[in-house]
Amino acid sequence: MKSTLDRRTFVKLTASASGALIAGVYLQSCESEMIPAAIHEFSPLIKIDTDGWVTLIAKNPEIGQGIKTALPMIIAEELGADWDKVKVVQGDFDEAYEEQWAGGSYAIVLNWDLMRTAAAKVRHVLLQAASKKMNKKVSELSTIKGKVLHSKSGEAMPFETLLHEASKLPLPEEVEFKPTDSFEIVGKNTSQVDLQQLVTGKTKFSIDVKLPEMVYATVLKNPVFEGGVGSFDDTEARMVNGVIDIVELDNTAYGGRLLGANSPNFVNGIAVLANSTWSAFQGARKLEVVWDTSGTRKENTDGIFERFHSQLTNTTIERKDGDIHRARKAEASNFEAVYQVPFLAHIPMEPMNCTVDFRADLCEVWAPTQNPKALQEGLIKLFGLKPEQIKIHLPRIGGAFGRRYYVDYAMDTAILSKKIGKPVKLTWTREEDIQHDWYRPASVQKMVASLDESGMVTGWQHILANASRKTCLGREGRPAGTEIDEYEFPAGFVPDLQFEYGHVMSDVPLGQWRAVGLSATVFAIHSFLSELAILHNMDPIDYFLKFLGPARMVPVVGDYEFDAGRLIEVVQKVRHNSNWDIPLPKGQGRGFAATKLSGSFVAEVVTVSVDENENVTILRVDAVVDCGIVVNPSGAKAQVEGGILEGLSAALYGEVTVKNGAAEQSNFHDYRWIRMDEVPEIHVEFVANNLPPRGLGEPPLPPAAPALANAIFAASGKRIRKLPIL
Amino acid sequence: MPSYTLTINAVKRTVSADPDTPLLWILRDTLGLTGTKYGCGKGICGTCTVHYNGNAVRSCALPITSVLEGNIVTIEGLSEKGNHSVQQAWMKLDVPQCGYCQSGQIMAAADLLSKNENPTDKDINVAMQGVLCRCGTYSRIRKAIHLAANKQNK
Repeated sequence: MKSTLDRRTFVKLTASASGALIAGVYLQSCESEMIPAAIHEFSPLIKIDTDGWVTLIAKNPEIGQGIKTALPMIIAEELGADWDKVKVVQGDFDEAYEEQWAGGSYAIVLNWDLMRTAAAKVRHVLLQAASKKMNKKVSELSTIKGKVLHSKSGEAMPFETLLHEASKLPLPEEVEFKPTDSFEIVGKNTSQVDLQQLVTGKTKFSIDVKLPEMVYATVLKNPVFEGGVGSFDDTEARMVNGVIDIVELDNTAYGGRLLGANSPNFVNGIAVLANSTWSAFQGARKLEVVWDTSGTRKENTDGIFERFHSQLTNTTIERKDGDIHRARKAEASNFEAVYQVPFLAHIPMEPMNCTVDFRADLCEVWAPTQNPKALQEGLIKLFGLKPEQIKIHLPRIGGAFGRRYYVDYAMDTAILSKKIGKPVKLTWTREEDIQHDWYRPASVQKMVASLDESGMVTGWQHILANASRKTCLGREGRPAGTEIDEYEFPAGFVPDLQFEYGHVMSDVPLGQWRAVGLSATVFAIHSFLSELAILHNMDPIDYFLKFLGPARMVPVVGDYEFDAGRLIEVVQKVRHNSNWDIPLPKGQGRGFAATKLSGSFVAEVVTVSVDENENVTILRVDAVVDCGIVVNPSGAKAQVEGGILEGLSAALYGEVTVKNGAAEQSNFHDYRWIRMDEVPEIHVEFVANNLPPRGLGEPPLPPAAPALANAIFAASGKRIRKLPIL
Repeated sequence: MPSYTLTINAVKRTVSADPDTPLLWILRDTLGLTGTKYGCGKGICGTCTVHYNGNAVRSCALPITSVLEGNIVTIEGLSEKGNHSVQQAWMKLDVPQCGYCQSGQIMAAADLLSKNENPTDKDINVAMQGVLCRCGTYSRIRKAIHLAANKQNK
């Protein structure tokens, strides 16, 4: 297989044409003993030393999705390295790495060819060097477990014996990839590279950074969205032991709320600087603040949803196939239903924090960010720095879920460090974290179907009304873009189809949340499809399969086609795995839903029991996933389980409500999430194929909520159209 | 500020602090034992779990003055070489996702197994439901506790 991405994409990653020798560098092994070795750098991502250790840079932010293990596995595979002699080092932010962000389940999608190409180029020069030394044809050589092997003779040469010669050779322009059926590392259960550090508490998250002279800080912000600081009395706060200074953060001095599209600036507030986190927290509690709420909307949840409901009849058309009105007149019956989902917080376990050492020559940052490029751009915009004056370290991140796509907390920190001329570690309290999130947008969705005499859909209308995260984040284009767009399912499957969007303005800060728009739309789509099935006394899976029609490529938009066959396969498999066709006792029920996201196909069945008091117990979840090649089955299964539990947690409990313009929730006591005693059995199967690997962080999430709602209906006859359930 | 002497991971440490300072911040900011994490500051999420006199406690809600008399064990002191049966089981099953809550999970699990060498699923629910995992590693945590119990009982 040849690399299909254009050369420009790879030019930086493979720019170092030969393995530059870094003499006298000490390489730290996993056991922390110091190994003296000469290291040859073949590419920004790949170094090999004379003791045979291969050092790979993990370039993307690790937020718990396992990318720090998965990307190096891909490099090691293509290189033919011995995984037991691979050392993985987290890369700092570096333009040379490219695509260095976590979002949209794109890391594997965007880096599969990129990692393989970088590695195949290095393999090429190792083979060339070996060919000369062994006097064998390159075509008869391969790499395996850190050696170049001549399989005919069994002769082998370890990489470390080839470094000198290989490093003098130019890296090739074009490469051939290893055939996927020869994989030795990709596809094998592989423990994450930080595992031992994690279970012994040694991993340094961003919140654990400590620098000489470092000052600790926290912030207090106006709980009312879009509000500011009026006046404040800090007399008491300054009397708290350890408090050093109190600083007002005023973002109007830095251009207002938005740094740029998709990248909100910080929110106005008051920062407390102290000699410990606890002193900073105590100082913040003692601040007496009169908040300025002039010009804010002072919204309430009920009012927001009322406006969403009214906007269902004042919409823009986002996609129009055929004519839904024609379908409506001609067909035997029409059916409609309205669904509602709430605002959701992200609540990563590691609260927002950042450490910045803003020196005259260099602004050095340790940030838990999914989006280091936005952080760099923010620093450039706020302080007029040049890229070379900024260094961004990317420590392991304690969860993100979309929250850390925005860099507001890092901007807070940089401003404070610059102001006081010392390193600052800023830690938000959990309360600030929940009250100043960029929430998953709430929405109201109206679904209308026209049905023929057999109950099948010929007309489909999906209207979504909400406040758009796109508008909130200052991105160009139609506000609908992040909420419902022309790619939404079932575009292409129904002849008369229309998607509409009703846009409402709100002060509630909005942003990406795992699975983005699909976390809301799939709930409406699959609840509705199950309702249609039941209306016609059909089994929901039978109905869905009939709805999909035969396995084929379905044109959706431009060149983009939906592979119905891959979706049908996961649906049929989950039907089998979940014992769907075996009846359950009274009070129990199964529900089904499926989706395609980031190129992956997922079908899920949730089994529940509902007692006479309407208490819901989730008994079991079955998921079947087709994400192409599974790079690391251990990490992949974890992503599926985690995505399902996140979808179920949100469906059961997740809700941020707004009163007088402020979030009513403030900590885990009133923002409930699933705990050990509520976790069902989860069975996961991956479809085995050799298709290119696709995203996995998000795809398992959206089907969980509708599958749960459909199961509750099957068990109790109660239809859930509004989330959260409890 | 008054001065206090604590016994942490079998070592006596003397620190200056306000009497209401939670143990969590003494561990993290004063002593550099950052394996114990801040999650909620209210004793709700369990991320800050340590052992005090052999019991799992929430260090974010315990003032320093309440832990002067006994032994405090943090994740850094749970075992000498990271080889406590719970840590080994965690490694065997590749439990963590983001990893942030895992010190708290491991300390809670070690506490459970020290008192109940063969916990049922129900026992695990009771002991572990106080420690929140946002990534959803619960299924592997449950399996790892059973695995550690089986190893201990051999």
